[in-house]
Amino acid sequence: MTQPVKNERVRPDPIRAVPVRHPGRWVAIVAIGVLAAMLVNSVLTNRGWDWSFQGQYAFSEPVLRGVVTTLWLTVVAMVVGLVLGVVLAVMRLSPNPVVSSAAWMYVWVFRGTPVLVQLVIWANIAALYKSISLGIPFGEAFFTFNTATLIPNAVAAILGLGLNEAAYMAEIVRGGILSVDEGQGEAASALGMKRTQTMRRIVLPQAMRVIVPPTGNETISMLKTTSLVSVVPYYELFFNAQVIGNRTFQPFPMLIMASIWYLSITSVLMVGQYYIERRYARGSVRSLPPTPLQRLRSRLGGRGRDRGRATPLAVGASALPMDGSTPHE
Amino acid sequence: MSDLEAPAGSQMKKPMVVAEGVWKSFGRIDVLRGIDLHVDHGNVFCLVGPSGSGKSTFLRCINRLETIDAGRLSVAGDLIGYREKGDRLHEMTEKDIAAQRREIGMVFQRFNLFPHMTALQNVMEAPIKVRRLSKKESRERAQQLLDRVGLGDKTHLYPNQLSGGQQQRVAIARALAMEPKLMLFDEPTSALDPELVGEVLDVMRQLAQDGMTMIVVTHEMGFAREVGDALVFIDDGLVVESGHPRDVIGNPQHERTKAFLSKVL
Repeated sequence: MTQPVKNERVRPDPIRAVPVRHPGRWVAIVAIGVLAAMLVNSVLTNRGWDWSFQGQYAFSEPVLRGVVTTLWLTVVAMVVGLVLGVVLAVMRLSPNPVVSSAAWMYVWVFRGTPVLVQLVIWANIAALYKSISLGIPFGEAFFTFNTATLIPNAVAAILGLGLNEAAYMAEIVRGGILSVDEGQGEAASALGMKRTQTMRRIVLPQAMRVIVPPTGNETISMLKTTSLVSVVPYYELFFNAQVIGNRTFQPFPMLIMASIWYLSITSVLMVGQYYIERRYARGSVRSLPPTPLQRLRSRLGGRGRDRGRATPLAVGASALPMDGSTPHE
Repeated sequence: MSDLEAPAGSQMKKPMVVAEGVWKSFGRIDVLRGIDLHVDHGNVFCLVGPSGSGKSTFLRCINRLETIDAGRLSVAGDLIGYREKGDRLHEMTEKDIAAQRREIGMVFQRFNLFPHMTALQNVMEAPIKVRRLSKKESRERAQQLLDRVGLGDKTHLYPNQLSGGQQQRVAIARALAMEPKLMLFDEPTSALDPELVGEVLDVMRQLAQDGMTMIVVTHEMGFAREVGDALVFIDDGLVVESGHPRDVIGNPQHERTKAFLSKVL
């Protein structure tokens, strides 16, 4: 019954078909082109933008000071949010119901109230508690601090932003931890690893793949949210830009200048996020996506032959190890 | 392989695993309804039975991935999960349970390799973190173990770059790295393509020849007959029939066993 299979096929000519036309695309190109031209025209001709005035102040001392403040506020608030968020997430998943309810309560309160309101509350906390003491609960106090000096505006800004962020990060981290297969924890337990070791070495590194993208969003969001601390008041980029705008009676160019600063910094953050995501993709994708540099190089270097081969290989190699060129960064 | 005779009563050592009336329920469902058995040192002990019979649950009780509700379960003479003081049982701390588990290796149906680590790192991890071995020593041992399961040239690959059979062999090496005195296998070949089953069974056969005590939940009757020293057929949470694999598989006494074997053979 079975015949020897002949393996002498000649590769046929590739299909040459008439491509589908896309008239809709051309309409869209024209419409968007016209709108873009109008926008560029107005940006260049409307004196209200006042580019030279913006340029004059973009790198002035108060603006740069504001940029630095915005940056460190973002970093410190995110660190506070991340650390506290991980702690809350682990608490939330604790088998101890009291511990997990406490974490739930925290998230409920801090996620359920506006961050602007929280900032104002921290700024005025001294009105609620004139002094803060360390000592026996309900008993004797050993040290007493004046709240107003203990919590200057910088600390109020950090508390407002960081504690609020922790509530969001807790949910993100919890989602990440839950996304890791249960078998991973079982395998680690079976090897004699303890709960904390398992969490740190096995579960969290895998959860990172799920945690990193939304954390990048949170960081970008935080950078912009720092503009709210002007209510504390604390002087960051937006506040300083507004002050200059009001003083010179040119508020609008200063708003645009601040926006360009925010946009530039978020762009840098986006690049960073791409590389961090790539790092945590190890082990979950067969070959890492190329860095933009690698993509550029491959496009300039091996054309035709390489590009034609890439796709069928990637699809066909399901159970086979790779050829060794791609797995490690 | 000289002592293939039925477990001798005059054995000097205590049995490796002793179960007496092990009972386990999930909610209202009784999964194990009084399992009695003992596993001798150096034996390959096969657990067979239909899915849902409780054989995997029993295996997971042995290293306390599940807790038992009643009965006694001991490994190498020590109760699992409890300390006996006078006539009362005291629950063990997490630390003590971890210490018991490191003496018991486990291989899972779905491999459960750590996907963010290479094959070598998978094998190195627990000896470093649990046994406090140096990195260098652990790396050498891991390399030896991977050589032993025939994957010495795949050490730098991540699990998803390995075939199922290769992953399961890494998982066996990972369990062996802790130098366990007992190995548990939970359907180690059920998730594999048929053509990859053989390479995993070969490694297990080698392990059995080296004298490792093994408890194997399996549907591979050929393997059980060839390598097994004892076999227990479990159905509905009870031991239905036990004996030497040749006898139970070749000449089953119980109707339920006959019906099951006629389907899997």
